[in-house]
Amino acid sequence: MTKKIYTKEEWIKALAGLKSSYRIFVPVMDGDFYIFKAMDETKIPGFDFKNTRLSPKSLIYPQSERMFEYTLDENAPDANIIKESEKDYSPRAIVGIRPCDAHAFQIVRPNFDNPEYQDPWWIRRYESTTFVGLGCNEPVSTCFCTSVGGGPFSEKGLDVLIYDLGDTFLVKALTDKGETFLNQARGGKEADEKAISAGEDLAAKAVDKIKTKVPTDKLKDKVQTELFDAPFWDDVAFACINCGICTYLCPTCWCFDIQDEVFKKQGDRIRNWDSCMFPLFTLHGSGHNPRSKKVQRVRQRFMHKLKYYVDKYNNGIQCSGCGRCIRNCPANIDIREICELMNRF
Amino acid sequence: MLEYVEKIRETARKLFEEGKVDVFIGYKKGSVPMMNQPVLISNADQVDLLYWDSNCGLNLCNYLTRRTDRIGIVANGCNSRNIVTHITENQISRDQLYIVGIPCKGMIDHRAVQRAVKQREILSIEEQGDTFTVKGKDFEDTFNKSDYLQRNCSVCTHRNPVIFDEMVAPPVEEQIGVDAYKDVKEIEGMDPDKKWEFFTRIIENCIRCYACRNACPLCYCPTCFVDESKPQWVGKSSDPIDTMTFHILRAYHCAGRCTDCGACERACPVGIPVRQFTKKLNKDAKELFSWEAGLTLDQRPLLDVFRPDDYNDFIR
Amino acid sequence: MNDWEPKITTFLCNWCSYGAADLAGVSRFQYPPNFRVIRVPCSGRVGPKFILAAFRHGSDGVWVSGCHPGDCHYLEGNYYARRKFALLKGLLEHIGIEPGRLHFSWISSAEATKFVEVAQEVAKEVKALGPAKHFIKKRAEVA
Repeated sequence: MTKKIYTKEEWIKALAGLKSSYRIFVPVMDGDFYIFKAMDETKIPGFDFKNTRLSPKSLIYPQSERMFEYTLDENAPDANIIKESEKDYSPRAIVGIRPCDAHAFQIVRPNFDNPEYQDPWWIRRYESTTFVGLGCNEPVSTCFCTSVGGGPFSEKGLDVLIYDLGDTFLVKALTDKGETFLNQARGGKEADEKAISAGEDLAAKAVDKIKTKVPTDKLKDKVQTELFDAPFWDDVAFACINCGICTYLCPTCWCFDIQDEVFKKQGDRIRNWDSCMFPLFTLHGSGHNPRSKKVQRVRQRFMHKLKYYVDKYNNGIQCSGCGRCIRNCPANIDIREICELMNRF
Repeated sequence: MLEYVEKIRETARKLFEEGKVDVFIGYKKGSVPMMNQPVLISNADQVDLLYWDSNCGLNLCNYLTRRTDRIGIVANGCNSRNIVTHITENQISRDQLYIVGIPCKGMIDHRAVQRAVKQREILSIEEQGDTFTVKGKDFEDTFNKSDYLQRNCSVCTHRNPVIFDEMVAPPVEEQIGVDAYKDVKEIEGMDPDKKWEFFTRIIENCIRCYACRNACPLCYCPTCFVDESKPQWVGKSSDPIDTMTFHILRAYHCAGRCTDCGACERACPVGIPVRQFTKKLNKDAKELFSWEAGLTLDQRPLLDVFRPDDYNDFIR
Repeated sequence: MNDWEPKITTFLCNWCSYGAADLAGVSRFQYPPNFRVIRVPCSGRVGPKFILAAFRHGSDGVWVSGCHPGDCHYLEGNYYARRKFALLKGLLEHIGIEPGRLHFSWISSAEATKFVEVAQEVAKEVKALGPAKHFIKKRAEVA
């Protein structure tokens, strides 16, 4: 597979040159934090960041998405017909995605793409996207990707992996899709042995820098109902304010709600992110709400991520170790502490 | 404010030993720098978990509504005013509470500090009274606390608790001569299109996580207006007009009740200056009705009462 | 622009202002046709949800009218309303809705002439501002 070396300016020029074949999404500074935006002349990518505040989940699975629409306007050619909204599935590339976020897409894939159910919107976006990852030279203290089957230079879910060697980027294609992407990127030269071994060295050092180890080995063996009835949930849940920050920032959360909206003669069926933290999440039409209490909802979130997913998919826990929930929770609920509590229960 | 920690623990221990409270709500040291976690302890053995420093920004009154047990709670100036509001609005009764008053010198704005160290990771923070030191992997900086106060704390004029059963320390000096509404006045001077542009821009990153609503102690409605469906006042998608409607209506529901505790701004994950919506209402309440929320138990809420000579100039 | 007519959502309290509007009609007074009247039991019934909903639906202006303070059929409804409206007007104008779009008045059921006068003033002010630009909820702007 192709391995190229670029200086940092050459790389940005190469990305700009790919505009005709891909829509490129890069991390861009917006105020205090980084966020993935479509690259253009006004949005200069910054690759010197820890991680984006919001995960790139919204690029494959937008927060609000129109699924179907209809019009009652008799003059329109398709009046009174409900049709799927047209989307742009032309090739795109997310450049600068961290390995934890790319791994997250692999974690959620069984939900959106399995033999029984296929989510056409998610699948089409996912398949038209090339993931060009940037390995983490300096993981932060809240990272724990190595505990969940990932790593700062993990190749899971990536098509291309970039090693930041200081002045240059070592860009390594990992899959056929990545190969296609890299072959179209202009500039750069063939990577030499020195660069490749520098990259491997960097990767090994980065793994050692991850100090947080979260034990997940005993989760599978716990009895679901016993864990459900454990006495520590009341203490864990007290501080939670039941907002939706953890679920919305999390790259592995996937719940949604579908709402219909009508504007004059136009109707839209829209899918929005929903959060198990919201009281309305489990409100039945009858008025009964099985998770009306905060502690039930908090327990649900951690049981889902750390137990139900483990049991159902045999794919580790539903967490990529990115640490966004830990850094942004206003009440400092820490999934590492809870995972430890559950693992040793 | 670290000197308060021992006194808080001692008071909590005494309360449990004397059987005066069933539970005690306070903060415990957080697992990440500059964050503390609200905690509920139910016996004297757990009092050593209690902690207090300049990062206790989340409003503890959130956890009071509709509880029926006897609660000991720590409260600084703004939080104590929220307790008064809760009692006036029948969410908790005065005799259930044992309020440990804390004279507060303000909370640190963790985002401003992050900006000051150019977003490098802060691994620890230590306070030394009027200064604090942050340490990262290869940096160490000391700052003056007064330069990095949360925005609401820098204009606070009610640092001392207005209601308490005992105080952990003598009252601190209140700030005088602060113009709390300087930013509101700046916006008032703009013309309507500029104002709309300003507000549209500040909410453009809103992800409708409702952290501002949930962090706010006043937002305790069993069914929030965003969840009402017959009729639906606000759409659930991330449409900009729906987002604006949410922010305006939420701010309005806090009209005359907001104590400017800053929990909403602190909670927002994308750094929206949520207080720009509520501060205008606080200013109008002060200027038109001479009203500040939560100062004494004797006053009824602003919109619950009226005077025959209320401000009428805007009505034909 | 010259033949554009504003749509003004009008909330009239059943006992006084609606009566005034009725009396204006019965007396064959001419007043601008821009008002979409919604009858409410009391001006105190009108809250921010209604006014915001009116703007969201594309109203160019909103006018709320009730009994004079002291004359409310329910004794105090309009007093509470007065405080609410003061704060709401302040907030809405603060976020960018032009001052001439939101109006309030006290009109008693015998004051048909006042109703006509206020109606003319309100229509004139809203017409001068042009169509509402800002707060209209159209088709959701989503992916």
